[in-house]
Amino acid sequence: MSKSLANQVAVIGVGCTKFGENFDQSLQEMMVEAATGACKDAGVSLDDVKAAWLGTFSPGFSGGKATITLADALKFRGRPITRVENFCATGTDAFRNAAFAIAAGQYDIVMVVGAEKLRDRPVRGLQREGIHPYFEAGSTAPGIFALVANRYMHTFGMQRDTLAKVAVKNHANGALNPKAHFQMKITEEQVLKAPMIAYPFGLFDCCPTTDGAAAAILCRADLAKQFRKDFIVVRGIGLAVMSGKPYLDPTGDYLGFPSTEAAAREAYSAAGIAEPVKEVDFAEVHDCFTWTEVSNYEDLGFCKKGEGAKFIEEGRSSLQGDLPVNPSGGLKSFGHPVGATGVRMIYEIVTQLRGEAGARQVKGAKVGLAHNLGGPGAVACVVILGREA
Amino acid sequence: MNGIVGHAVRIPAHRIAREEIARAWQTSSLAGHKRAVRFDEDALTLAAAAALDCHSSLGGAEIDRLFFASTTAPYLERSNASLIAALCDLPEKCSTLDLAASLRGGTSGLRLVLTGLNSGSNATILCAGECREAEPGSAEEMLFSDGGAAIAAGTQNVIAELIADATAYDDFFDAVRRDRDVHVTSFASKFSIDRGYVAPIAKVVGDVLGQAGKNAKDIARLAVPSPDRRAHQQLAKKLGFSEAQLQDIQFDDGGITGTAMPLALLSAALGSARPGDLLLVAGYGNGADAMLFRATDSITSYKPHAPVGAQKAVALDYASYTQYRKAREFFRSADQGLEISNIFYTKEEPQIVRLHGSACRHCGTRQFPVAQVCVGCKKGDGLEEVALARTGTIYTFSEDTLYPSPFPPTVMAVVDLDGGGRIYCEVVDVPPSEVKIGMSVELTPRKLKEGGGLYHYYWKCTPRRGK
Repeated sequence: MSKSLANQVAVIGVGCTKFGENFDQSLQEMMVEAATGACKDAGVSLDDVKAAWLGTFSPGFSGGKATITLADALKFRGRPITRVENFCATGTDAFRNAAFAIAAGQYDIVMVVGAEKLRDRPVRGLQREGIHPYFEAGSTAPGIFALVANRYMHTFGMQRDTLAKVAVKNHANGALNPKAHFQMKITEEQVLKAPMIAYPFGLFDCCPTTDGAAAAILCRADLAKQFRKDFIVVRGIGLAVMSGKPYLDPTGDYLGFPSTEAAAREAYSAAGIAEPVKEVDFAEVHDCFTWTEVSNYEDLGFCKKGEGAKFIEEGRSSLQGDLPVNPSGGLKSFGHPVGATGVRMIYEIVTQLRGEAGARQVKGAKVGLAHNLGGPGAVACVVILGREA
Repeated sequence: MNGIVGHAVRIPAHRIAREEIARAWQTSSLAGHKRAVRFDEDALTLAAAAALDCHSSLGGAEIDRLFFASTTAPYLERSNASLIAALCDLPEKCSTLDLAASLRGGTSGLRLVLTGLNSGSNATILCAGECREAEPGSAEEMLFSDGGAAIAAGTQNVIAELIADATAYDDFFDAVRRDRDVHVTSFASKFSIDRGYVAPIAKVVGDVLGQAGKNAKDIARLAVPSPDRRAHQQLAKKLGFSEAQLQDIQFDDGGITGTAMPLALLSAALGSARPGDLLLVAGYGNGADAMLFRATDSITSYKPHAPVGAQKAVALDYASYTQYRKAREFFRSADQGLEISNIFYTKEEPQIVRLHGSACRHCGTRQFPVAQVCVGCKKGDGLEEVALARTGTIYTFSEDTLYPSPFPPTVMAVVDLDGGGRIYCEVVDVPPSEVKIGMSVELTPRKLKEGGGLYHYYWKCTPRRGK
């Protein structure tokens, strides 16, 4: 019988840069700001940190071979640094691996950094890398999610105005968040009238391309009290990889993301969660496109398949709802620097659980869930964090 | 008996009104529309599509040879015919040959197939495709049209038998393109028509009729190309044929399609022929060829895979000359920079060119691309490489304006192939608003990208017409 990860690992500090068009910050500068912010928050020095995991998807011009970029930026030397890349779930997977190292007893204190500088690229949108030049040609990030959305809409009869409600909600939350890329409310009409990117996604159905970095300091749960009273513990983590080419899989129904279902099962099992909609107080989920959030409600078990539209329409995922989703503003409004996003979700959950989220605070939050989805639903990671019981 | 066993044409879905060309250059216009390729089509894809249609019509008959004729073959060094043979998934022992340089390549190829070879018992596909570039603003820019055609020859189920043939070469030039030229240099004049068109055709047609002991009035149909919209009518008159005998060149919705033209006209003549009809086809270009056929009783049972009427019914007009030029220039201005090695290509060719996938012995699941472990039952010891169907149904799709294209949105679809297997490809030759989940489609080879000294061909899909 495998050992559960639950309650062995604590998060004692988090840091996050402002997300957005950080034209005046290099990748290294963002890493330093997030990492030193997390150390300060935890009350540890960089010397106390014995290993680091760096999540970055596409380090780009200034990122080089990514581990040395972190080593050189922080002068974090003579210690292990591991780069993690797992599509858009890179950040949570980096966190997951750092948590394993703590749980294994290898280190007492480690650091996770997620960083991405997407705005210095020569292309619109997210650069597609490592795809097959023939049978994946023609794919873009919105295009491959639109394939699933269109099949879903065809099957369940959902309309674009339901999707618009997701964007309106997440922008309303982001408007309350000083670190969000976009801090502005939008209307359903604006969403529906925006230029089309890939039907059914208009501009406001898509998350932006963003620069940003986030970091977290993890330590053994039994040592956490030394650093702070209100530490946060890891209740469960799950990760699942499906096909990177779901559009070639004749066995798939293409109505959602089985990777999320599998990752959630593993995380819920570790955390002892049987009824997520009752036992999870809020969630930060991967709303790369508005429809993805609707599917996430279903794939994470917040509601049944086909009932995601009702979940948003009834306001259940709003800040005042019974299961607020993306109080930070989500990828949609907070932004999506790929490798940073998962760690930024951890930052938001820790901030909420500590009751430090200000105007966007979810009242009485005790258990929070982070959900990262990568590739065309190729990989999903779910992390469940809780206040120290 | 050696003769024609199948035929097909490929008409591009896009076209432009000649008056739009005239408007751009402030010249006087000719009537009608010319068919014009989209940026992902070329002489090879048009010929390959016709060859595939022809192959389908033959119901899987074995093909011993595939010949390709064109003056605008995309590759000058690398066998275009071999690439088309691979797209048709023909066996390795198939003989391939590229016929280049002369507009007469189509008829010379056909004559070679029918008379000059030691015929085996199986069939030959001769295909032709043409995308000639005229000097912008020239009369030829209005005359030239893009198109493809294929004729299959063999000894089984012959629909038209060869009665007589003749050829004559002539080192006379009326249209020329050197190795370093992009555009055709035209010497169009009354002299060129008399000396380079009428004279050689008159000679070979006379030879053929003489050999067969026939007169013009015995011929049901004369299929003869033309250098312009009228010259074939003057030629027919001079040779003693009536207008009713002359195969219409469809100038109002097409035009001069080079090597493919006589084969397309022959295909049309075969399409309307009755048993016993005599059909005379001629081709010209630095000389002339002529062949006389008699339709057999089997002519009535031949069913083309993609009927011409259904192809012509699809007419997507380029709204302006700018759109037309953009469609032709896209790859030149926006090379997508795909570089691959021949190692990669060699390994990938069975799946990306031949459209092979895997079928599982245990659970029956068909899958694309070729797999080592079955996606259905996850067993690794039951897969066999199989050819997948080129027809299917759209399971879902997206209309993508982010993907770089001269004509956004790019419609990408997940297609469930008939008999199993799922692929992801672009939907072309249909307005995006008409694409629906559940639509029947057919795969067609298209130019996907360029780069690294290569054109990269892959499959796209079009709505299945006329079914």
